[in-house]
Amino acid sequence: MSTNDILFLAEFDAGQATRSALELAAGAAALAAQSGGEAVALAYGPGAADGAAGLGAHGAARCVVLGDERRPAVVHAPAATAVAREGALALLAPATPNGRDLAAALVGSLGLPAFGPVRAVRLVDGTLETEQATLQGAVITTSRPNEGAPSPSVVLVLANTFTPIEGGTGSAAVSTAPTDDGESGLARATIAESQPAEATVVNLEEATVIVAGGRGVGSQEGFGVLQELADVLGGAVGASRAAADAGWVPYQLQIGQTGKVVKPSLYIAVGISGAIQHRVGMQSAEHVIAINRDPDAPIGEFADLFVVGDLFGVVPALTDELRRRRGE
Amino acid sequence: MKIVVCIKQVPATGADKRYTDDLRLDRASAEAIINPLDEYAIEQALRLADDGVADVITYLTMGPESASEALRRALAMGGDDAVLVSDPGLAGSDEWVTARVLAAALDRLAPDVALMGMASDDARGSLVPGAVAAMRDVPLLSYGAELRVAGNEARVRRLSSDGFDWIAAPLPVVASLTDQVGEPRYASLKGIMAAKRKPLETWTLADLGLSAAELHGGALTRVTGARPPEAKPPAERVENVTPTEAAARIADWMAARKLI
Ligand SMILES: Cc1cc2nc3c(=O)[nH]c(=O)nc-3n(C[C@H](O)[C@H](O)[C@H](O)COP(=O)(O)OP(=O)(O)OC[C@H]3O[C@@H](n4cnc5c(N)ncnc54)[C@H](O)[C@@H]3O)c2cc1C
Repeated sequence: MSTNDILFLAEFDAGQATRSALELAAGAAALAAQSGGEAVALAYGPGAADGAAGLGAHGAARCVVLGDERRPAVVHAPAATAVAREGALALLAPATPNGRDLAAALVGSLGLPAFGPVRAVRLVDGTLETEQATLQGAVITTSRPNEGAPSPSVVLVLANTFTPIEGGTGSAAVSTAPTDDGESGLARATIAESQPAEATVVNLEEATVIVAGGRGVGSQEGFGVLQELADVLGGAVGASRAAADAGWVPYQLQIGQTGKVVKPSLYIAVGISGAIQHRVGMQSAEHVIAINRDPDAPIGEFADLFVVGDLFGVVPALTDELRRRRGE
Repeated sequence: MKIVVCIKQVPATGADKRYTDDLRLDRASAEAIINPLDEYAIEQALRLADDGVADVITYLTMGPESASEALRRALAMGGDDAVLVSDPGLAGSDEWVTARVLAAALDRLAPDVALMGMASDDARGSLVPGAVAAMRDVPLLSYGAELRVAGNEARVRRLSSDGFDWIAAPLPVVASLTDQVGEPRYASLKGIMAAKRKPLETWTLADLGLSAAELHGGALTRVTGARPPEAKPPAERVENVTPTEAAARIADWMAARKLI
C-alpha cells in the first residue's frame, strides 16, 4: 500500500457490484492517476469474493475482499481499518447508509478527517479538495484536510458524481483482508431477521430519469399513472415522504433528507410541493420539471420548467405525446 | 436501564443561513432549534421510559453556552437530566472532534443505549453515530425505523435494498434513528416548568480529560471557500393551457435538451 493510493468502498449486493462501486472505481482511478498511486477497492457484501477481480475492468488496480456474507456493512470496519492503516491519500465511500456507517467507523477508529457528502473531489497541488452543498443547499463550500491531519481523508461521495468506466478488460489483483474481528464491538451486530419486499424495488440512485410523486398523486393507483410515464422515459418512480408515509410506495423510493439522495439527469416532480427536506435529496438533478396545480408551490423556485396544471390531466397527456413522437 | 440521547442545536429549518467572513457558520443570525431528527430520538427514549424499560434519560450536547437552551427544550419534553460539553477549544469542530468529545462524555455517563438522530440539518454527513460507536468499541445500530430494547439486547428495523432487516446487538449500543420511528411529542406547559428545575451540568474538555492539542485544535478539516449555489434562471412557466398543449410544450422542452 502506498500513501498515494486511493481506496474506495465497493459494495456488492445479490452477487453483483453495485452501481456505486463502479462509480467510485472510476473516481478513484482518476484521482490515483493524478496522485501517482493505485485505485484499491475494499469489497464487501454477497458476491464480493467472486466479483472482486472484475472491478479491474472499471478502474481498480487491486481489490481487498473484506467479507462476502450478508451482514451489516459496519461489521467490516475492523478489516477496512487494517487496510487504511497501511496508508493511502483518500478513501471514497458512497453516501449511502452502509457507506456512511463504514466511513464513520474508520473516522472513529483512526481519527481521520471526514468530508461530504460531496459533489466533486479533486487534487489541487497534491492536496485533496472537496466541494459540497452545505446548510441544506444554501451555500456551496470547498474543504481540505488541515495541515498535518492523518490520512487517508474519508470522503462521502454522492451518487452520479463519477461515471463508470465501461468496456475495460483489466483484472484487479485480489487479496483477502484478515477476518479476525472477534474482538471488535462493531462486529457484534447481526442481521436477526430479514423481510424482503413483495415486489422488487428499483435502486433510485442508479436512475438517470426519475418521475417522483407526492401527496398530490393521491393513491397507489395514482402512482400507476406515474409509472407509465417513467416507463416511456426509461426511468424510475420516486416519491416524497408524504407519499411513502401514506403507504402508496415503499420507503425505498423516498427521496430527501431521510430518503435517497439522487442526481439524475431529469427529475420530474409531480404533485410535490418542494419542502426543504425533499429538496436536499434532489437539488443536484441536472434538469427539473415540476407539475403542480398550485402556481405558488415552492417547487417552482427551483424547477427549470414549471407546469401549472392538474397532474391527472398533464401526466397521461405527456405519456401519450412521448409515445406518439416515438411513433408508437 | 440508562439512555443518553445526543442532541445538537441547529439553525431553524428554512432560516436564512450564511457563513461569516472567517468561513464559520454564522449561528448568531438564525433562530436555534433542536435538530429535528434528534427530536425523533428523544421521543423513542421517552417511549422506552413510558413503557418502563428505561429508568434514566440524560441528554448530551456539545456546543456553545447557548446550546443549553436546546437541552432545556428536550427536558421539557421529558427525561431526567442533561450535560452540556462546552469549551472555547471546540469552536468550529468537525465530525471527528465532535465524535471524540461525545464518546468521552459517554464513557463517563456509561449508558446502555446512546441514541442519536440519523443526520443533522446543518451537516448531513451522518458520521457521528458510527464514529462514536467505533471509539467506544460498541455495536452500531444505524438508520433505525423502529427501535426495540429488551433484556440485554437492542434491535432496530432498517430498510434494506428491497425490504427491511432487523439488526440486533447486545447492550451497550449506539443507535441512530430515522423519522419513521414516530412523531415527537410537544412539550406541555407543565413540562416546561419542570424542566427549569432539572439538573443541567456543564463539562469542559478538562473535565473529560481531553486537551485542545490532542483534538488538533478542534478540527482535522477546514472550509476553504463558501459561495452561493449556481444561480438558476427562474423556471420557464407553462400555465393556462390544456393538458394536451402542456404535454406538447414539455416534450418540446425535453427534446431541446436532448432528454428524449
Ligand atoms: C425530519 C424530517 C425529515 C423529512 N424528510 C423528508 C424526506 O426525506 N423527503 C420528503 O419528501 N419529505 C421529507 N420530510 C417532509 C417534508 O417536510 C414535507 O412534509 C413533504 O416533503 C411533503 O410532501 P409532498 O410535497 O408530497 O406533500 P405536500 O406538501 O402536501 O404537497 C402536495 C403538492 O401536490 C400538489 N397537488 C395536489 N393535488 C394535485 C393535482 N391533482 N395536480 C397537481 N398538483 C397537485 C399541491 O399543490 C401541493 O403542492 C421530512 C420532514 C421532517 C420533519
